[in-house]
Amino acid sequence: MTVVIGVDIGGTFTDLVMRDQVDGQVTVGKVPTTPHDPEVGVLNAVDAVLTPAQISRCSHFLHGTTVGLNALIERRGATVGLITTAGFRDVLEIGRGDRPDPYDLRPRPKDPLVPRRRRVEVDERIGSRGEVISPLELSAIASIVERFDAESVDAIAVVLINSYTNPDHEMQIETELRRCGYQGDISLSYRVSGEYREYERTTTTVIDAFVRHRMGPYLRRLRDGLAQRGFVGELLITRSGGGALTVEEALQRPFETILSGPVAGAAATARLAQAMSLPLAIPADVGGTSFDTAAIVDGRLPLNFEGDVEGLPLQCPWVDVRSIGAGGGSLAYVDEGGLLRVGPRSAGAVPGPACYQRGGTQATVTDAALALGMLASGELSGGVGLNLAAAHQVLDILVDTSGLTDRVAVAQGIMRIAASHMAEAVRGITVEKGVDLRTAALVAFGGAGPLFASLLALEMDVDTVIIPSNAGNFSAVGLMQSDVSRSAARTLLRPLVPETLVEVVAVATDLGLSFGAATHADSYELLLDLRYRGQEHSLTVAFPWSLGADASSLSVIESQFEAEYHAAYGLNLPESVELVNVRVQRHTRLSVSRDAVRAPSWTGAAGLTDRSVWSFTRAEWTMTPVIERTSVPVTGMPGPVLIVEQTATTVVDSGFSVRPGEQESLVVTRNRGARA
Amino acid sequence: MTILSWMNPAEAVVSSSSKSVSTGMGDAADPITTEIIRQGLNAAAEHMKRTVIRTAFSPIIYEALDFAVALYDADMSMLAQAPTLPSFMGTLGFCVEAAVTAVGGPQVLGPGDVVLYNDPFGTGTHPQDAAMIVPIFALDTLVGYAVIKAHWLDIGGKDPYCTDTVDVFQEGTIFPGVKLYEGDELVDSIYRMVLANSRIPDAVIGDINAMVAGARSGGAALSRIVERYGLDVFRQCVARIYDHGEAMVRHWFEQLPDGEYSASSVIDGDGVIGTPIPFEVVVRVHGSSVTVDYTGAPDQTVGPINSPLPSTVAVSRLAVAYLVGNEAPNEGHFRALEVLTRPGSIFHPVRPAPSFMYGVPSDHAIELIINALAAALPDLVPASSGGDICALVWWGSREANGEPWADGAPHPVGLGASPQGDGASTMMFHSESATRFTPAEIWEARNPWVIEQCALAQDSGGVGQYRGGLGLNLSFRVVEDCYITVAIARTKLRPWGLEGGGEGRPNALEIEYPDGRVESHSLSTRVALPKGTLVHLRSGSGGGHGSAAQREISSVRNDLTEEYISLEHVRVHYPHAM
Repeated sequence: MTVVIGVDIGGTFTDLVMRDQVDGQVTVGKVPTTPHDPEVGVLNAVDAVLTPAQISRCSHFLHGTTVGLNALIERRGATVGLITTAGFRDVLEIGRGDRPDPYDLRPRPKDPLVPRRRRVEVDERIGSRGEVISPLELSAIASIVERFDAESVDAIAVVLINSYTNPDHEMQIETELRRCGYQGDISLSYRVSGEYREYERTTTTVIDAFVRHRMGPYLRRLRDGLAQRGFVGELLITRSGGGALTVEEALQRPFETILSGPVAGAAATARLAQAMSLPLAIPADVGGTSFDTAAIVDGRLPLNFEGDVEGLPLQCPWVDVRSIGAGGGSLAYVDEGGLLRVGPRSAGAVPGPACYQRGGTQATVTDAALALGMLASGELSGGVGLNLAAAHQVLDILVDTSGLTDRVAVAQGIMRIAASHMAEAVRGITVEKGVDLRTAALVAFGGAGPLFASLLALEMDVDTVIIPSNAGNFSAVGLMQSDVSRSAARTLLRPLVPETLVEVVAVATDLGLSFGAATHADSYELLLDLRYRGQEHSLTVAFPWSLGADASSLSVIESQFEAEYHAAYGLNLPESVELVNVRVQRHTRLSVSRDAVRAPSWTGAAGLTDRSVWSFTRAEWTMTPVIERTSVPVTGMPGPVLIVEQTATTVVDSGFSVRPGEQESLVVTRNRGARA
Repeated sequence: MTILSWMNPAEAVVSSSSKSVSTGMGDAADPITTEIIRQGLNAAAEHMKRTVIRTAFSPIIYEALDFAVALYDADMSMLAQAPTLPSFMGTLGFCVEAAVTAVGGPQVLGPGDVVLYNDPFGTGTHPQDAAMIVPIFALDTLVGYAVIKAHWLDIGGKDPYCTDTVDVFQEGTIFPGVKLYEGDELVDSIYRMVLANSRIPDAVIGDINAMVAGARSGGAALSRIVERYGLDVFRQCVARIYDHGEAMVRHWFEQLPDGEYSASSVIDGDGVIGTPIPFEVVVRVHGSSVTVDYTGAPDQTVGPINSPLPSTVAVSRLAVAYLVGNEAPNEGHFRALEVLTRPGSIFHPVRPAPSFMYGVPSDHAIELIINALAAALPDLVPASSGGDICALVWWGSREANGEPWADGAPHPVGLGASPQGDGASTMMFHSESATRFTPAEIWEARNPWVIEQCALAQDSGGVGQYRGGLGLNLSFRVVEDCYITVAIARTKLRPWGLEGGGEGRPNALEIEYPDGRVESHSLSTRVALPKGTLVHLRSGSGGGHGSAAQREISSVRNDLTEEYISLEHVRVHYPHAM
C-alpha cells in the first residue's frame, strides 16, 4: 500500500498524478474531461496511466469532484420538499431582492430549487433568543408526508426561523417524519449550517438535500469502478474548505464539496509556502478558461464562511480563491469604442483557440502567445497540435479593427491586458487582506501559469516567481497531500466577556463531538467570528485550545482581533467586541509523504533549438534558448530562456534570471529595474 | 442657482457633460495601455466599495448598499464608479465641484485632507446622504479625488426620516464643504458637531470611519497608477478612456429610432398638501444624442417631493442605461445625454425647497422615461413595476437599557411583464437594484420585532399574456414601543400594463393597533407604535403585458399549481384556461 493517487477534474482536462512512496517515482497523465459522466473521465485516466499492480498498491485515492456543482448548474437533483415556519413559505423565492446584474431591467430569476407547491408551513415560532413564541403543531406532519408522497419527494429539508438559537422544533419534526413512515433523506438546517440568516441557511439546507441525490450514485459508481480495477485503499473527496472528506462523510454532507474545484491549487501553494517559509505566497493558476488566485499569508489557507454557487449563497467554509475569466482560451476582441478587450468569454475546450484548428475563429491568449514565440513546441500537452498560420490569421483581423500597427502589437497587447486582469484580481485580494503585494512570491502553475511568469511579475511589481515542480499538474499533486478535515459552526450572538468563553467551550465541545471519535492523528482548531458591536461583517480569529476560558484568554483573543482588524482596515474602533459564530475544524493527517514531488523525466524535449521570442522588457524579438526543465544549472542562468517540461512552458524574459529552488521548484527573479 | 432663473421659469437649464472633451490624444494613449489603466481605475473603485461594505456599521450601508463610490480626475471628471446604488450614478461629480469650491478651491487642499459635504442641492438627495471627498496626490501633483456618499441613519433634522418637511433646514444639519480631516488629523471641532447633531452618534462614527477608510484606499490605488505610468501618459490615456466611453454610448444610442417620445403620470401627493401632482417627461432621440426634457414639470412643491438637479440628471442617465446598454461608467458615458430642467420645478428645485423624499419624483421618472421609449423599443420595454422603494424607517429606545436604536430599509416590489416573459416577483425597484433585502433573523436579533409574515402576494400580479411579478406581504409585530416613518409612494396609481396587459396592485401600508384601530399610510412621519402593534406592508406588483386571453393555458395552470394565483382568479381573468 505505497501508492497515492490524486485526480483533479478541470473544465477541459482531467489530470491524474500518481506517486510511489517507495521509489519516489511519479507518473502524470491527462485525459479529456467527460462533463456529463465525470467518473468516466476519472476511470479513463486511471486506465490510461496506471497498471493494475499500481492500483492494487494504492493506499489513498484523492479526488476533487464537480458533480455537486454540475447538479446545481444543470438543475438535476433530488425532488426536494421544504418544511418551514408559518409565514415564511417564500423565503427561498424572495431571496434578497437583488438582481445578478443591477442594470437588468427584466431579470428572469431561475426557478427556485423547491417549487412553491412543495414548500409547506407548520405552525410554530421560536424567537431570536431561543424562546418558544408558539409551540410546534406536530399533528400537521402526517398530512405533509402524504402531500410529499404524492409529489414523489425524495428529500425533505427543514428550515425553521431562528432554529440556530434553538433546534428543538426541527428535531421534533425529524422524529415525527420518521414516525409517519417517511424513509427518504432529511436535511435539518441546524445540522447543515447552524448559522443565522434564514435565506442563506435555507438555500444551504436545500442544496444539501438537492445534490445528495446526485453525489451518492456518483461516488458509489466511482468506488465500484475503482474496486473493479483492484483498488482497496481509501477514497477521499476534497472539501470546499480545504482538506478532504472520507467518502462516507461526503455522502452525508455533500454540500461541503461543491466549491472544491479551485481549492487544490491553493492548498498545494499553502504547503509549498510552509515548506519554503514564504510569508506571502500568491497562487497564479492559469488554465484554459480561468485564472484562480488567493492570498496565502504564513502558509495558511484563507478561509471564508459564506460562498456563492450559481447565484445561491452557501453557508459553508470555503477556501477564499477568486476566479476571473482569464486563461489560455480567453477571447480577444475590439469593442464598439475601439479598445482592445480580453475575456471574460472563453473559447473553452471546443472550439478552443484558433491555433488548435478545431473551428475557433476568434483570437485567444494562446494564439497571441504562439504568435510571440512563447510556446516552444508545436504541441500542447494533451496532444493538441498548434498551427501558427491560423493564429496569425485571427490576430490580423484585430490589426484592422484596433488601429494597432501590426500583428505583434495586437498579440503583445492581448498578453498584457490578460496579465493586467490577473494583476487587478490579485491586487484586490491583497489590499483587502492588508498585505503588500510587492513582498509576495507568485507561485505560477496550471497549463498557462508559467507562460505568464515574467509578465505577471512585471504587471504586479513582484520580484519573485516560483514555478513548482509538475507545474501543469500542480493541483492534482496538491490533492495527494490533503488532510482529512471536518468542520461545524454555530451562531452565538454574545458580548465578548468571560461568561461567553465558558459558553464557547461548551458549544465547541459539542461541535467537536459531532465529528465522532477522535484519534491521535487528529488536531482540532477553534475559530471565533468576531466583530465590533453594531457591525455586521466579522473577522475570524483563532482561539488556541491551550487557553482556558478566563479573563486572560479574553484579552489574548481581543488583541488578536484588534491586530487583524487593523491589518485589514487600517484602524481600530472604540466599540466593544461581539461574538457571532463559533467554528470548530478537525484535521487528520494522512500517512502520506509530504516531500516535494519531482517531475517525471520527459523525452519530448529532445532536439530543442534556440528560437526568436518576443521580449516584453526589451520590446523586441530576441533570440532565446529553449531548454528542458532539468537542465537549468544549479548556479542559475539569466533570461531570456524558455523552459519546457511535459505539461507547461515557463517564459523567463530578459531582465529576469532563473535558478533551481527548494522543493524541486524553479525560482524566477526579476533584476532590479526591469519593467515592460 | 440664482434667484433670477427661479423667477424666470421659461429659462431652461441644460445639464450634460461637456467636461474634458478630448483635445486630441498623444501617442502614449495606445489602446493597450488605455485598457490597462481603465481596468485599474475600475478595480480601484470596486475596492473602495468593498472596504466600505466590510467596515460600515449601518445595515443601510452594508446590506442596502445605500452609498456610492467614485474616482474623479483633477478636472472633476469621473474616472470610474463602482456599481452600488444605481440612482447615485454620476451624482458625485456635482458634490465634488460644490465641496471643493466651498472649501476654497483645489489650492487649499493637501494630502490627508477629507472634505465633508451634505448640501442636498449639491448631492442631489437629502442631508442624510453625506459625501466625503478626499484629494489625491501623486508625483507632488493633485491628480484627482476619491468620493464616497453614503446614507447616515441620522444627522439631525426634525425626525430621523421625514416626509413632511417644508424647507431644507428642517431636514438635517448641513455641512456645506468643511474639512473633517486636515493633513490626516481629525478636525475635532467639526467631528464633535457631527456627533452632537445625530440621534445615534455611535452608528455615525462607525460609518464615518468606513467612508474615510474606503476613500483613502481608492486614493492609494489612483496614486499608484499615476506613479507607474507618469502624469503625461495617465492624462492622455484618461482622455482616451472618456472618448471610448462616449463612443460606446453613442453606438448604443444610434440603435434608437429618432423621434420625440413622451409619457405622463401622477404623483400621489407631496406629503404636506394631499393633492395629486400630474407630470410629463419628454425624450428626444436624434442620431447618437438623447435629450430628456423635464421643462414641462410642475412647480416645486411645498412638501419634500422635490428632486434636486443632480438626482434628476442621474436617474435620467440610469433610465436610458437600463434600456440601451451599460458598463462600468466614466465621464465619457455621460456626454451623449442631455437633461433639460426648469429651475423652480420639482425636477430642479431651488433653495430652500425641501427634498427629503427626492426619490418620489425621481424614481417615478425612471419608469416614465422607460415607458416613453416603449414606442421606440416595443420589444424591450416592460410594463410598470410596483414603482417605489417602499422605505420604512423605525426608531426608539430599548426597554431594557434605554439605548437608542434605529433601522430603515427599502423593500422589494413586483416587476412588470415584458414580451420576454413574466415579470420577476419581489425585486428591489430599479433605482435600488443592487440593494439587498434584510433577513428576518438579522432584524429580530437587532430590533424589537417579530416578523409574522414574509410572503409572495397571491393574485397580485397584473394579468396578461405575460403576468406581472408578485408583490410582497410583510408583517412586523413591534414588541416594544417605537416610532415609524412611512415613506411609500405610488399608493394610488395602479402599476400600468402594456399592450392590453392588466394593472398591478399599488403599494399599501396598514397599521393595526392593539386596540383594534386600523390605519392606512403612505407618507407619514413619526407615527407612534405602541408595543404589540402590527405593521403590514403590501408592496406593489408588476403590470401585465399583452391580453390575458393570449396567456398560454399551461402557464395559467402552472401558476395555479404553484398557488401564484387562485382558482377564483383564473375564473375571472383566464376563463379560457378553465
